[in-house]
Amino acid sequence: MTQIRHLTFIFFALFYLCAYSQNNQIPDSENLPSSLMTFFVTSEPIGNGGDLGGLDGADAHCQRLAANVGQGHKTWVAYLSTQTRPGQPAINARDRIGDGPWYHPKERILDYLDRRLSRPLIKSQIHGDTLLEAQTGSNMSKEFALNEFGQIINGIGDPLPTMHAVLTGTHTDGNAININEDRTCNNWTSNSEGHAQYGHTDRTGNGNTSWNSAGTTTGCSQADFESHGGAGLFYCFAIEH
Amino acid sequence: MKLLFQIFILFISFAANTAPFSIDYPMSFFVTSKPIGDGGNLGGLAGADAHCQLLATEVGYGHKTWAAYLSTQYRYAMPAINARDRIGEGPWFNFNGEMIARNLAHLHGDTLELARLGNNMTKQSVLTEKGQIVPGLNDFQENGHNDLDWDYVKNTPNSNRHEVLTGSQPDGTAYMSELDYTCNNWTSNKDPEDYGPMGAAENKPNVQIGFTDRNGGGNGSWNSSHGTRGCSQHSLVRTHGIGMFYCFAIN
Repeated sequence: MTQIRHLTFIFFALFYLCAYSQNNQIPDSENLPSSLMTFFVTSEPIGNGGDLGGLDGADAHCQRLAANVGQGHKTWVAYLSTQTRPGQPAINARDRIGDGPWYHPKERILDYLDRRLSRPLIKSQIHGDTLLEAQTGSNMSKEFALNEFGQIINGIGDPLPTMHAVLTGTHTDGNAININEDRTCNNWTSNSEGHAQYGHTDRTGNGNTSWNSAGTTTGCSQADFESHGGAGLFYCFAIEH
Repeated sequence: MKLLFQIFILFISFAANTAPFSIDYPMSFFVTSKPIGDGGNLGGLAGADAHCQLLATEVGYGHKTWAAYLSTQYRYAMPAINARDRIGEGPWFNFNGEMIARNLAHLHGDTLELARLGNNMTKQSVLTEKGQIVPGLNDFQENGHNDLDWDYVKNTPNSNRHEVLTGSQPDGTAYMSELDYTCNNWTSNKDPEDYGPMGAAENKPNVQIGFTDRNGGGNGSWNSSHGTRGCSQHSLVRTHGIGMFYCFAIN
């Protein structure tokens, strides 16, 4: 009987020792998703090329993906512009997303200087509203532009498929592209004819570092997007916090 | 014999494939693969230029004239020198023959349009004279080691070292300030008496840096993101730099 008691004691002692040492490991410095999360790149495309079901369809996609990771209580919109068409005024992506600042899904608690490393996106910085802001840049980087699970989007130098070309339909300043030629896959309703303006999540490619207006696709099918190193992903921002 | 011939043909075709890179677009830009090693004391602009020239010569590019991308500040009636005025007109190509910028305006984003779009300086294109990517943020971390300690970093070639000395503003010009942004015009390896926040402050040795991987400082600027904790070799490492700088071929 005492032997059994001893054994149980040893068993529990070991158990607590294990638990204790696990608790005493270096604390995980990343909460996923961060409760601050107000920005992400869609982990998956809608999958029908440039036909996103219009802005409404794209917004619903953002909302659904955010809800999947427990962030459905915020109002999410896609960072997409639409162009002027008969009976439809242009809509600027930058006017849809609120005022920010926006945090990504990965909350790094403290860095080596005891600061929060995941600094937010500032609206005027990401769009380079002043020359100094445009020259200096923003905190948008490959390691900031994560999907809602906090994962990096495959970019240049990463395993295939590359998915860094992200739909925006937008000029570098965040406004709609004011030309007749299509840059929004017919305001996000076409999966064949047309063109989409895209940015690069890793800020690499096409000889520039634009996150929101690095190039133009040759078409609007899913295959067209893939040939440009994209998959039809887009950016999502939360309007209010 | 036949096999030997096939290998020979294979070799020739490889050589033919890679040749156009180096013939059409010879290297005219690189990051120094190693620092001078005395913190912000580079021996002035002349010392830094000589370092560029030396490293370029080691890889067969000594026939070009190389200049370090560094500014100096107005001191003792000596006029300021702007980094952007030292590096020629471009275009500049990296080790792989990839264009990093067409001209000075493209490099610095002189207009709103150019600045918003950006140049082609990325982690993949900002290469050393040997064609190496510079280890950047989150590339390599060893548990229990401090990558802000020079004694560790100097023997750990893959640890983060993405900060590059420039002493310049985002537009490539010198700071018009009494405060130090250039480690006393690249002659100082001094530290402040006690470490305050990083960046420029009164009587504080300091240098402005940019990022090879465009990642950090809340902005990712390649040439002007933030200051340092001091000008000694140890201090540069305390924010993830080792005292490397950019070199451009003038001609």
